[in-house]
Amino acid sequence: MGRDSLLEMSGITKSFNQVEVLHGVDLTLNKGEIHALLGENGAGKSTLMNILGGVHQPNRGHIKIEGKEIKMESPRISQEQGISFIHQELNVVTDLTVYENMFLGSELRTKWGTLDVKEMCRQTEDIMLRLGVEISPKTYVRDLETSYKQMIEIAKSLLRRSNIIIMDEPTTSLTDNEVERLFGLMRSLKQSGVSIIYISHKLKEIKEVCDRYTVLRDGHFVGNGSMQEVDLEEITQLMVGKAVSTDAFYHEQTKGDPVLTVKHLTSEGNFHNINFTVSKGEVVGFTGLAGDGRTELFESIYGFRKKYSGDIEVNGHPVKIDHPKKGLQAGIGLVPKNRKENAIIKDLSVIENMSLSSMGNFERRGWIHSKTEREKFQHYKQQLNIKVHDPNRTIDSLSGGNQQKVVIAKWLEVNSDILIFDNPTQGIDVGAKNEIYQHIMNLADQGKAIIILSSEAPEVLRVCDRINIMFQGEITGRFHRDELTEEKIMEYATGSKREAENIG
Amino acid sequence: MANIEINQNQQPTSTSRSKLTWLWSEYSVVVAFVLIFIVAALMNDRFLYLQNQMNILMQVSTIGIIALGMTVVMLSGGIDLSVGSVLAMVGVFSVLSLNATGSIVVGILTALAVGAFAGFINGMLVAKGKIASFIATLGMMAGARSIALYTADGGSIAGDVQGFSSIANTELGIVDLPIIIFIGLTVAIYLLMTKTRFGRYVYALGSNEKAALLSAIRVDRIKVGVYSLCGLLVGVAALIETSRLNSISSSSSGNLYELDAIAAVIIGGTRMTGGKGKVIGTFFGVLLLGVLNNMMNLLNISPHLQGLVKGLIIIVAVFFQKRD
Repeated sequence: MGRDSLLEMSGITKSFNQVEVLHGVDLTLNKGEIHALLGENGAGKSTLMNILGGVHQPNRGHIKIEGKEIKMESPRISQEQGISFIHQELNVVTDLTVYENMFLGSELRTKWGTLDVKEMCRQTEDIMLRLGVEISPKTYVRDLETSYKQMIEIAKSLLRRSNIIIMDEPTTSLTDNEVERLFGLMRSLKQSGVSIIYISHKLKEIKEVCDRYTVLRDGHFVGNGSMQEVDLEEITQLMVGKAVSTDAFYHEQTKGDPVLTVKHLTSEGNFHNINFTVSKGEVVGFTGLAGDGRTELFESIYGFRKKYSGDIEVNGHPVKIDHPKKGLQAGIGLVPKNRKENAIIKDLSVIENMSLSSMGNFERRGWIHSKTEREKFQHYKQQLNIKVHDPNRTIDSLSGGNQQKVVIAKWLEVNSDILIFDNPTQGIDVGAKNEIYQHIMNLADQGKAIIILSSEAPEVLRVCDRINIMFQGEITGRFHRDELTEEKIMEYATGSKREAENIG
Repeated sequence: MANIEINQNQQPTSTSRSKLTWLWSEYSVVVAFVLIFIVAALMNDRFLYLQNQMNILMQVSTIGIIALGMTVVMLSGGIDLSVGSVLAMVGVFSVLSLNATGSIVVGILTALAVGAFAGFINGMLVAKGKIASFIATLGMMAGARSIALYTADGGSIAGDVQGFSSIANTELGIVDLPIIIFIGLTVAIYLLMTKTRFGRYVYALGSNEKAALLSAIRVDRIKVGVYSLCGLLVGVAALIETSRLNSISSSSSGNLYELDAIAAVIIGGTRMTGGKGKVIGTFFGVLLLGVLNNMMNLLNISPHLQGLVKGLIIIVAVFFQKRD
């Protein structure tokens, strides 16, 4: 390894408040490689990267870049060593243009002291050309798609002549096409000698694009090696410390009466002429690429969006839903995507988040009865295996998977007949994912009608009875689970095949 | 992750110290109040006289009641700039109705109704009209003052019904009625915000409006309720203010009250953007400002300089509060 290693971190130990969170971790990065840094949430990946980025100082251990020992005392020093950190949340200013973002904080000036717009645009164009994207430097960033915003971040790191780029979950908000583009870009960066540390939960992507890997578990280094020599199961096993099944959760259910019937639902620019039914005990999936309108469709059915036409029937009765409250009263619940923005209230405690949609269950003569709340939470804590030390602390003290379980508990407490899950396992690690699927299956067994929206084909294939595939606001394919493969889903999701209305 | 980083700032092993940190971060306004109270007591021996203490409470009762409403509005993520003007408008209308009917009850009901109605309009503008609260209530601030001035011809009107002035000038034992009203309302708003669904929803709305809406909360109605409640409390404050001198000035009554109320709320630790804060914090924020005023009067500090001192204290108080 030693000869062409660019970065060597060895024996990195870090404690917060006398609790050791990294126990002598090693990481070696070769020149011109894409290196996957793997581990469940809380394994210490972010802490390790923050140490590399100069945000935290290690208690023990060495960092060597090209054989020279460096003390990363501040983010600035790290940057000077050619390390760029591209965070999950993009740091671009959307109200500025592309070139203004590129040179933010290090603007070029003419000899008169005014901004040298021409030179900045020229350099921006140069780099964009290298990245193989055609964007005018004077485009406003707000008008760009997410993947292009990411390009800007990458372009920024190239501008600073970085030779190590850390990418933290870069694909969570990208469509499949955009992911492909990003991977192409990463490969060409690799060719030009740039090394990339890639953090992601999506093992499939990692298999596709990464050369080597390092796995952390509970702050320990548990393994590294070449990507070609392992399969995904071995890696998963390393990450969670035990074998995790990726088998289907599906099992045949006795179907009941139709609970939700949607006819000719149309919303200008979002979705068009949508028809479907969901029955008791059924798990129905909706999948497609980003921008296929499925989120908008179900936000409309739930009442969050008001501008649509068509009919919705719940248990055979037509309903008019123009507010989430009416959706709830009609028996529809929604676990929205983007948990942080849409589902959790970070200033409220875990218990208060659980009870928020069904306050009536916890009131006595108009006063909140906090003992009932606590007891009810204990019930869900056991049922859903929610890991929480103090449920009176704010909900953002929990990990993503546990937050999601609290959101699910919130809707269990409402006891809706129909539950819509939008991207239910977003940003959740492998172990917790399986638990969430299991809970969803249990709900279906109890006779709830379940709808799952997901852009991840394997996810819908694992849990759903029937799958509807959407493309540009229309249902292009409806299948029973047995008829489908991931490839087939792709064909319908990209619009290259469409036949839904013919087969009904 | 976040917790670990926070804990990092505390000294390990010494739990008493971490308890102090907790006390400071949660109740820094109480600590600041106690400090200023001690300083005031040391600087002037008349400060601790019971009569002086009652004076302070009496003086802050009006602003205090308004600040309670402001707390609720700010917890919901909004702001109400119209409270001072609405107070003048409420005062004018309640004295007019009082004089026209000769009935104190009608005067009180008018005050409460006009205040709540002004708040209701604010709420509708913010919730249904989707206007930023700063702008909507700025409009109300100008409008209400103008209505007050026009109705009262720019001057003051005095009540000519006997007994009206006893609202603010009655004493129960040694405690004036306005003080009792202020403390009673503090308890009521505290209970409302911590023990009822409405309060829970207000916190949720101020913290994350979209998530609150997606949790099937009638966000619009809560907003209208919040501003109406604030208006109602301004109505109560206006009654005390009017009854104390048995008159109201359409031009000067309530001037800059919105600033004092907002200052008290902020000193009390409520977050500007909503979702986090305590009614108790506001209560002590109000007292702190009151003690400060009183101390400066006792020390014969020029009234022209008092604004500067107050401004400094506000900035220092907020500076030392734990920031997110």
